[in-house]
Amino acid sequence: MPTRRDFLKLGSVGVAGLVAAPPAAPGAADAAETPRYPLLTIAPLKDIGAGAAISFAYPDRHSPAMLLRLTAPAVGGVGPNQEIVAYSTLCTHKGCPVAFKPERKMLICPCHWSTFDPAKAGTLVIGQASQHLPQIELRVDNGLVQAVGVAGLIYGRHTNIV
Amino acid sequence: MPVSRASSVDSVPLPPPGAQRFDTVCQFCIVGCGYKVFKWPVGRDGSPEAQGNALGVDYTRPLPPLGEWISTAMHSVVTDKDARRYNVVIVPDKGCVVNEGLASVRGGGLAQTLFAPDRATKARLSQPLVAQGRGHAPIGWDAAVDLGARVIKAVVDRWGPDAVGMKFFDHGGGGGGFEANWAVGRFFFSGVGTRTASIHNRPAYNSEVHAAGDAGVAALTNAYVDAELADTIVLVGSNAYETQTNYFLVHMVPNLNGSTLARKRETFAGEAVEPARIIIVDPRRTMTVATAEAAATPERVLHLQIEPGADIALLNAIGRVILERRWYDVGFIGDRTEGQTFEAYQRSTLAVDRPLADVVGEAARIAGVSPAQIHQAAEWIAAPKGDQSRRRTLFHYEKGLIWGLKNYENVAALVDLALLTGNIGKPGTGCSRMGGHQEGYVRPVYPGGRPALNVDEAIRRGEVKAFWVGGCNPVLTTLRAEAMETALKERGAVVQSALDRTAGRPVGERVARIVDALKLGGMFVLAQDIYMTATAHYAHLVLPAAQWGEVNLTSINGERRLRLYQRFMDPPGEAIPDWEIMARFGRRLRALYLEDNNPQMANRFLDFTWKSDEDVFIHARYQFKGDGSDPIEGYAGVTYDLLRRLGTNGIQTPTRIVNRVPVPTVRVHEDGRFFTPSGRARFIPAPQPWPGYAAKVVAQRTQFPFWVNNGRTNHIWQTLYHHQHVPFYAEHNPMPHLEMHPADAARLGIASGDLVELSNDVGRVRAMASITDAVKRGHTFMLFGQPRGATGDLVSDHVDPATTIPYYKGVWAAIRRIGPQPEIQRTVSFLPQNVAR
Repeated sequence: MPTRRDFLKLGSVGVAGLVAAPPAAPGAADAAETPRYPLLTIAPLKDIGAGAAISFAYPDRHSPAMLLRLTAPAVGGVGPNQEIVAYSTLCTHKGCPVAFKPERKMLICPCHWSTFDPAKAGTLVIGQASQHLPQIELRVDNGLVQAVGVAGLIYGRHTNIV
Repeated sequence: MPVSRASSVDSVPLPPPGAQRFDTVCQFCIVGCGYKVFKWPVGRDGSPEAQGNALGVDYTRPLPPLGEWISTAMHSVVTDKDARRYNVVIVPDKGCVVNEGLASVRGGGLAQTLFAPDRATKARLSQPLVAQGRGHAPIGWDAAVDLGARVIKAVVDRWGPDAVGMKFFDHGGGGGGFEANWAVGRFFFSGVGTRTASIHNRPAYNSEVHAAGDAGVAALTNAYVDAELADTIVLVGSNAYETQTNYFLVHMVPNLNGSTLARKRETFAGEAVEPARIIIVDPRRTMTVATAEAAATPERVLHLQIEPGADIALLNAIGRVILERRWYDVGFIGDRTEGQTFEAYQRSTLAVDRPLADVVGEAARIAGVSPAQIHQAAEWIAAPKGDQSRRRTLFHYEKGLIWGLKNYENVAALVDLALLTGNIGKPGTGCSRMGGHQEGYVRPVYPGGRPALNVDEAIRRGEVKAFWVGGCNPVLTTLRAEAMETALKERGAVVQSALDRTAGRPVGERVARIVDALKLGGMFVLAQDIYMTATAHYAHLVLPAAQWGEVNLTSINGERRLRLYQRFMDPPGEAIPDWEIMARFGRRLRALYLEDNNPQMANRFLDFTWKSDEDVFIHARYQFKGDGSDPIEGYAGVTYDLLRRLGTNGIQTPTRIVNRVPVPTVRVHEDGRFFTPSGRARFIPAPQPWPGYAAKVVAQRTQFPFWVNNGRTNHIWQTLYHHQHVPFYAEHNPMPHLEMHPADAARLGIASGDLVELSNDVGRVRAMASITDAVKRGHTFMLFGQPRGATGDLVSDHVDPATTIPYYKGVWAAIRRIGPQPEIQRTVSFLPQNVAR
């Protein structure tokens, strides 16, 4: 199944020749080693029903996150139909908690109204964040949905593993 | 849309306590948010303890909401001319009264726009180029200036100064500022003396708000704090959440949600106060409407979703209701306006000889709103408050009105409404354009008349022999853009062949052959920019300019706040500031005219001897007197030193000199004087309440079914000149999106993400469909100026004859589906962009 990183690699839509895929930001690489993320079991796959929205914390207890079972395949999704995704719920604008609106199929921040698309890797739909919502990388192991990493810096941190 | 790699980085380096610090202001929109810049050598990062980093913030534990967080977009690595690599972090300044620490989506990514040899911004122009064959080759500054100056001189000597055409920035912020603007004006107006000038986004050299000027009302009257104090805010043709973001979020939203009540009580002791109401005149249900409803509750938001071009009828009908209900400001009109203009306004604009119901009914039909909504708007604008005190209403307008049906009457209708209700020059009131770019205009007087000469047409007619484009991209943005491109291509090719035949020959011979080509209908093109734009491709000389962050520059924002935008890094290669490019050409022309024993012309090019950006700033300052007679940009008495001390809060212009010290102006017209000889404002009467559509517009509307409204959106600044090189933004709009109503899309079998083609009698262009209820049936909205599909290709050459301002918003076209775009549909989000709850 496609992972978020595959998506990044494949994702240079259009703008051919205009957007060169940039190398990883060297300063950041110099600053800190790639963090080693913990393994966290969120829930058994069988317990994650249609429309589920499960709050959890990852990569530590100060980092609220949410697992969503959407209705269609999602970028970076796991599960039988790649429809299970998870995100940090701290808005990447100013850190307010985003809420999932199932009828809208989007995550909305109540502070300055940035909105994010959980089916498209947490991309900013509209609003004032300068990063997409960090996506929690998931895997299914022995029937358990587990968090294994985070793509994107979580609000309020200079590195995801503080 | 895919997430860029930059944002999947999961750490940022922290600036060490010893990092270099600079104050700056965002390079993009009019609001001009304050930012702090930190710069330090790669490998010498700070640490997370508060005393271990330059922000003095404890990053050892996660920050609470609204903290000083550095997102990955706010950091990048640059390489200076010393070949050393530096980390640069650009964060919103919580000490700036404009944005109070908030970034917009655009400002949050400022660091991503910086030149770096290892990122896509390496596309920056870094050396002067001369056209050679089908491409360009390096030429070096001395040779470029010599060739260009000789061609300009030959054109002026043979055909006169008006044969030199120009289209240049006139604004503030990135790609502008007082320094660059002064140098451009000195060169073209004091030096060349051409009238064939035009401003970056339009075909002539003209005000976008002539009617406000004729009324004696400044373009930017109020302070941003007035949005916190107003009883009612009126936005006409302005999508503030998306395009003047932090003015809306930091100053309007707190008033809409009641957070400024204490401040209102304190400011207006004894006056009835309540949370603000807002009237939004916009054909679309934008994110501004949605967020206003979320902030204010829907009952305090009146969205007038008008039909194209109906602003004049609507605003004048509101004025008529106010007149009829006797809600107008008798005292203000008597003391502050020229009485006979008020009489003319009532007679012709408000049609007092016709029954009220007729005028309101007609306007309601034209605008597609109900008569009750027109009455409600009048009430919210002007009905006395509960304690019978006058309502304080703040009027704002932008491109929806400015680029509308009839520029002059559009702006007049709103300015007249503000005068009628006395809402100028008092706290909580004002009548100002919202602004697109920042401002920073200071130039010698434009030598041309009014209405200004249409440069696009002069180019097509062959009258322009040398055309100099600076910091803009008319191939994407002008009206009948394809015709402009054809002229550049075909007339440029004649010169190109002369250049190719004389490659390697002495410059005198090359210029002689170029002049021969000009006689045959050729046109010599110079482009001065930071990237190789679609327009620069056709240039014979390409001149690389330094950008924001690489020069010191000064500008004012939408409340006339003047600040110094500090230089914090080197420009790429041989790029130099715009003022220095103009100075080099000015000095060369002076020398050439002296050699030619023509002291009269040589002396037109005096004073191009500036040594620094501050020299230019101070030279331009002599335009201002500081005695209360200056235009709103006036910065008498201001120095770079003063601005350095004032940081991101700066000083509000126009300044007046009191005891040798520059004193700011918080609100223009607060002294009760207007910019007319009498000092009283003038109503600008229109012949009738509603002018109707011009014949050319009617013909297009009749022939083509869809209205193609167009403009800017949240993520994208102008032509994407930077943003196409930053994946976060480029991936949001890999091509222009076209908003369509679900019913229209269903009828044509169009789904979100489909490739569609728009065509009309002017041209054709492609876009990706985005199905949304933001637009009414029969209406569409397209992102303007996108390199992969420019609405300019559909805009007719119809202009308001009074002002030579185009009706850019007045496009009608047919739409057809071409087919699906699976990659775009897989990766780009098409969730609605007008949902806040």
